[in-house]
Amino acid sequence: MQDIGPKLNRRVFLGSLGAVAATAGMPASLRAQSGSILTRAIPATGERIPAIGMGTWITFNVGRDQKRRAQRVKVLQTFFDLGGGMIDSSPMYGSSEEVVGHCLERISNKGSLFSATKVWTLLRALGVRQMNASRELWGVERFDLMQIHNMLDWSAHIETLKEWKAQGRIRYIGMTTSHGGRHDALAKAMAEQPLDAVQFTYNILDREAERRLLPLAAERKLAVVINRPFRQGALIDSVKRHKLPEWAGEIDCANWAQFLLKFIVSHPAVTCAIPATSRVDHMRENMGALHGRLPDEAMRRRMIRHVEAL
Amino acid sequence: MTRMLSFTPEVFFSLFEQYNRAIWPGQFLAYALGFIALLLVFRPFPQRDRIIGAVLAAGWLWIGIVYHYLYFTQINFVAPVFAVLFVLQGLLFAWTLALRGQAAFRFQPDVFGWTGVAFAVFAMVVYPLHGWVAGHAWPRSPVFGLTPCPTTIFTWGMLLLTQGRTPIHLTVIPLVWSVIGGSAAWLLAVPEDASLPVAAVIACVLIVWKNRLARREALA
Repeated sequence: MQDIGPKLNRRVFLGSLGAVAATAGMPASLRAQSGSILTRAIPATGERIPAIGMGTWITFNVGRDQKRRAQRVKVLQTFFDLGGGMIDSSPMYGSSEEVVGHCLERISNKGSLFSATKVWTLLRALGVRQMNASRELWGVERFDLMQIHNMLDWSAHIETLKEWKAQGRIRYIGMTTSHGGRHDALAKAMAEQPLDAVQFTYNILDREAERRLLPLAAERKLAVVINRPFRQGALIDSVKRHKLPEWAGEIDCANWAQFLLKFIVSHPAVTCAIPATSRVDHMRENMGALHGRLPDEAMRRRMIRHVEAL
Repeated sequence: MTRMLSFTPEVFFSLFEQYNRAIWPGQFLAYALGFIALLLVFRPFPQRDRIIGAVLAAGWLWIGIVYHYLYFTQINFVAPVFAVLFVLQGLLFAWTLALRGQAAFRFQPDVFGWTGVAFAVFAMVVYPLHGWVAGHAWPRSPVFGLTPCPTTIFTWGMLLLTQGRTPIHLTVIPLVWSVIGGSAAWLLAVPEDASLPVAAVIACVLIVWKNRLARREALA
């Protein structure tokens, strides 16, 4: 058997599993399902959300192009039709927040929406202004999750977020990074700040988070949102040149998107993965990962070996 | 490479389409002003240096305020910074050339003059043709005088057509934009923008050379 190194070993994996089971008071099952779709609990409250959400980086930044906006309405409609919940965006993503708001206005069955965005600016006062602007753009009364984007001026914004949470203006506080180099700073904040959720990168090839952030999130009872599940599309573009292994059927994967997403959401500390897409057919593929069996540890190792050998 | 940006090339060209349709028929005015500026380099006319300076200033100010701030900001969070750069350059042209008349634009049949004219003609004629061949013809194309890259190439040409020493402070922001805008050739699949950093390198070398010659002549 190929040695997959310290990034994913039995001790770390079982450690995370045990930590989640202990902290969330749930059985150590990887198949935490509610109804017919896979959901995960937000440790702070026990509220369950679908384990596959939707990111908006690039894909929803279409400006005022009405044709593309109409197409994104179809994408988002499909997301909700298939049981989607979390939509994640940021003021950094150009017109994405405005386009999400445009789409939400035209969709009726959005009751499962779990709105997540970010504050991304210097200075506390500018952060307040930016978060209020985001609420207007989305057309929501309050955000479910407000995250400090890439930890920018986090010590200023965390005070606002604590106040807003106490006032009921947001429900959860989060912090994000998409840079591996900021893992140390994020880990420190996770240990010291009153966070409910964290967001960072984790996928079948980028598994640095298994070493420290995922076990720490489990230990601190933090929800974990996973960005870049497909390495911004590069990973899935790469693996799609190859045939999906037949044994992927053992975990009910019909395509590569489900293969890669099930790897992520089968980690016991992960709450939600947020792949981004601008296509309805890709949205259907992604949301299929909410169904069927999930890989156990042995299968996860097999998945890693297979993808690394491609 | 396109994943480094927050938008796709398709959305980028769609933005040009919206912009071009919104400002129609301003494109004719931009071409007319560019043509007049180029013509004045060859023909004596009262206040021609200040007129050319005003044309350059108007182009850079328009692009900073309308293109960058009102349009490009929709999809690019860095666009407000670009807007500031272009407005600043517009103000520099207005102050240095249009108000104070600190440069004279004259065609001389030397390497500087011919290169300057070539750059100006390239920006107005060859650049859009290259875009058409590359598959993003009107209205999905950057237009001379109203969008940054062809206007910057034209600006390099006009700076080479200044008589004597070219004011160096007028070259800094065009140089910065030549690096930023040139990256669009690779990041956004705009092959015609590859000409921008090439034009900048050639222009900078020639301007340094021209300014040295001007200094020697002044000392002689």
